[in-house]
Amino acid sequence: MSSIALVGNPNTGKTSLFNTLTSSYEYVGNWAGVTVEKKIGSLKNGAGKLIDLPGIYSLHPLSRDEGVAAQYLIEESPEALINIVDASQLERNLLLTLQLLEYGKPTILGLNMTDVAKARGIQVNPDILTEQLGIPVLPLIARTGKGTGQVLSVLEQPSHIPPVTFQLNYGELAEEAIASIVTHLHKISGLPNLRWVALQLLEQNPVILELLKKRMDISGLLLIADTAQTRLQQEKLALTLPQWIRSVRMDYIRKVCAEAIDSTLQKPHNLTERLDSILTHRFLGLPLFVLFMYAMFKTTFDWIGGPLSDLLDGFIGGQLSDWTNSLLGAIGASEFTHALIVDGLIGGVGGVLVFVPQIFILFLMISFLEDSGYMARVCLLMDSTMERMGLNGKAFIPFIIGFGCNVPAIMAARSIEQPKDRLLTTLLMPLMSCSARLPVYLLFAAVFFPAQQATAVLSMYVMGVVFALILCKFFSKHLFKNETSIFIIELPPYRMPQLKTLSRSTWEKGKGFLRKAGTIILAGSVLIWLMSYAGPGGLNVDMDHSFLAKFGGFIAPLLQPLGFGTWQAGSTLVPGFLAKEVVVSTMNIIYHAPDAAGLEGQIASVFTPLSSISFMAFILLYIPCLATVGVIKKETASWKWTFFSMGYSLILAYTVSLVIYQGGRLLGWS
Amino acid sequence: MALTSCSLLRLQPGSTGSIQRIEGMNPILRRRLADLGVSEGVMIRLKGKGPFMGPITLECNGQLFAIRRKEASMIEVKVS
Repeated sequence: MSSIALVGNPNTGKTSLFNTLTSSYEYVGNWAGVTVEKKIGSLKNGAGKLIDLPGIYSLHPLSRDEGVAAQYLIEESPEALINIVDASQLERNLLLTLQLLEYGKPTILGLNMTDVAKARGIQVNPDILTEQLGIPVLPLIARTGKGTGQVLSVLEQPSHIPPVTFQLNYGELAEEAIASIVTHLHKISGLPNLRWVALQLLEQNPVILELLKKRMDISGLLLIADTAQTRLQQEKLALTLPQWIRSVRMDYIRKVCAEAIDSTLQKPHNLTERLDSILTHRFLGLPLFVLFMYAMFKTTFDWIGGPLSDLLDGFIGGQLSDWTNSLLGAIGASEFTHALIVDGLIGGVGGVLVFVPQIFILFLMISFLEDSGYMARVCLLMDSTMERMGLNGKAFIPFIIGFGCNVPAIMAARSIEQPKDRLLTTLLMPLMSCSARLPVYLLFAAVFFPAQQATAVLSMYVMGVVFALILCKFFSKHLFKNETSIFIIELPPYRMPQLKTLSRSTWEKGKGFLRKAGTIILAGSVLIWLMSYAGPGGLNVDMDHSFLAKFGGFIAPLLQPLGFGTWQAGSTLVPGFLAKEVVVSTMNIIYHAPDAAGLEGQIASVFTPLSSISFMAFILLYIPCLATVGVIKKETASWKWTFFSMGYSLILAYTVSLVIYQGGRLLGWS
Repeated sequence: MALTSCSLLRLQPGSTGSIQRIEGMNPILRRRLADLGVSEGVMIRLKGKGPFMGPITLECNGQLFAIRRKEASMIEVKVS
């Protein structure tokens, strides 16, 4: 089976093209719904696999995303490459193209967004490009799928794509260095195109240097590079070798563009200009953003998501339970099986499934913001605030994704260039209320603050953000002294997201939740139900004498000062560490609630408004869930930081809940 | 027409200058700017300034992007 890699700059429409070219769709990596390392899909015509690499500007990696792409090209050997470029930004895009051509694998150039370019008065002549670069150039409109049929038919036989003969002359000095490095490289096997490796070495690509270091002693090669650089400086050609290589490429690109592009009729982005004059307005920008966020939460919880959840809850608690009851009665199931299925499974998993509509709507809106181009503006608007807190505006996107699920959000932090900013974002991510915590807020808000549900829920989100900002300031001041943060963000033109792409990415994000409902939550529910069903006295004991009660009672005294020192509350916390979704399903089981209304009644009698706020705050802050801990370990590659993130959040949760409850009591609330 | 050099920050929103020098900038940011085609000799336009001393929006080669004011002050432009 052949593999074809899809490479290109960010925002050039790679994902659209990927979606149209592939039918099945799988993510590499352990979690769904992220710009994970690389996506793999099967080509529609069955000719092989298509690998979607993260968007990169050059093969010289700055962020971890780019490192993944560079590493892929070095360590794996795709049969062919599709390089997708934005026709309206050709000059910049071609820099990567040249590096890919030097890589030497058969390459197709997908000239995307020809419609956008045309609308802006930029005409690109694909024939001249083909002639200059020596590779097939296919004009595309990936968003609508126009031209993708042609790409597929070229890919039908990847071996038929003509080999690349492209070679750029870097001048006598550099060419000498390249030639002598290549002779050294001949000694080791398993390298891709040697000239390419030599060039990347001269450009000081860290991934290449790392790889070569493992295979051979590279001091000789570095000496060659150094000598060449010194001679370049002596001849006053350039300050450094990488700069020289870049300028040779840029000269060539300018020459190609001058021939292939007719931009005499170029017009500015009218729509983008007009929208930006409002959306990134110095005074209006931020209030508008807050308004959008409020509307987003309102839609999720009040306008659309809430009613849908109620419908689903009515079905699960009513009809589904009734059917199951009568079915189990008809087949004569034992009392144990009956209780297991109705109380354990339907009660536990069903209690979480009712939140599916709200979670999907939230994900849909996040995807919309991402695809429309607004998200980049949000980073811009937030940068000055974030900078004051010691981070940069780019960290804002991961934080917003964190509202969906912390796991993909931590992985999204990979697009941040600086290691310090990335680590801080990762450490603070658990303070973003993920969708798993949402059911808890929704439940308590419905019981204690029925008139202001959206506000109550929103304030929990805000609380997380506020603590994230405070801790950010604190950590960046005390843990990462002397490190500045940088900020640069591209602002893509605004565009209407496509329904197909939207639904696909919403599904990809939400799938993880459903999968968890089917695995961790299912297993957790059954386990917890068993613990509540069995006790030291045997099976089917009174819940107050169950293992669960014993266990919850053990931690309850610790929670007493926080206002919820009952065994019931205590016993939700440990399964809540596995997955926060389990908190509500645990409650469903503990309180034997047939449906949401029943559970709400029970909660109302056990908690007070004040202790409910304290409990919600505790659930928000207390510890990242197991999956998040796993991804923190993976991304930071450090147990120290992993334990640090668990430790600080536990301490924070206890302190905050204590202050809320005791403070509230002093003020005379209950 | 007289040519004057000044920091990019001094441009009026909407006006254009050609980049004269970029100095003292964080190397990572410098590389990223180069990736976007921002280098000496290129025309750059100041589109707007963000709220609360936030980043400024720039346009270069038809690409919109934003950087912080502190860094923008290290880009020297020539205006005619």
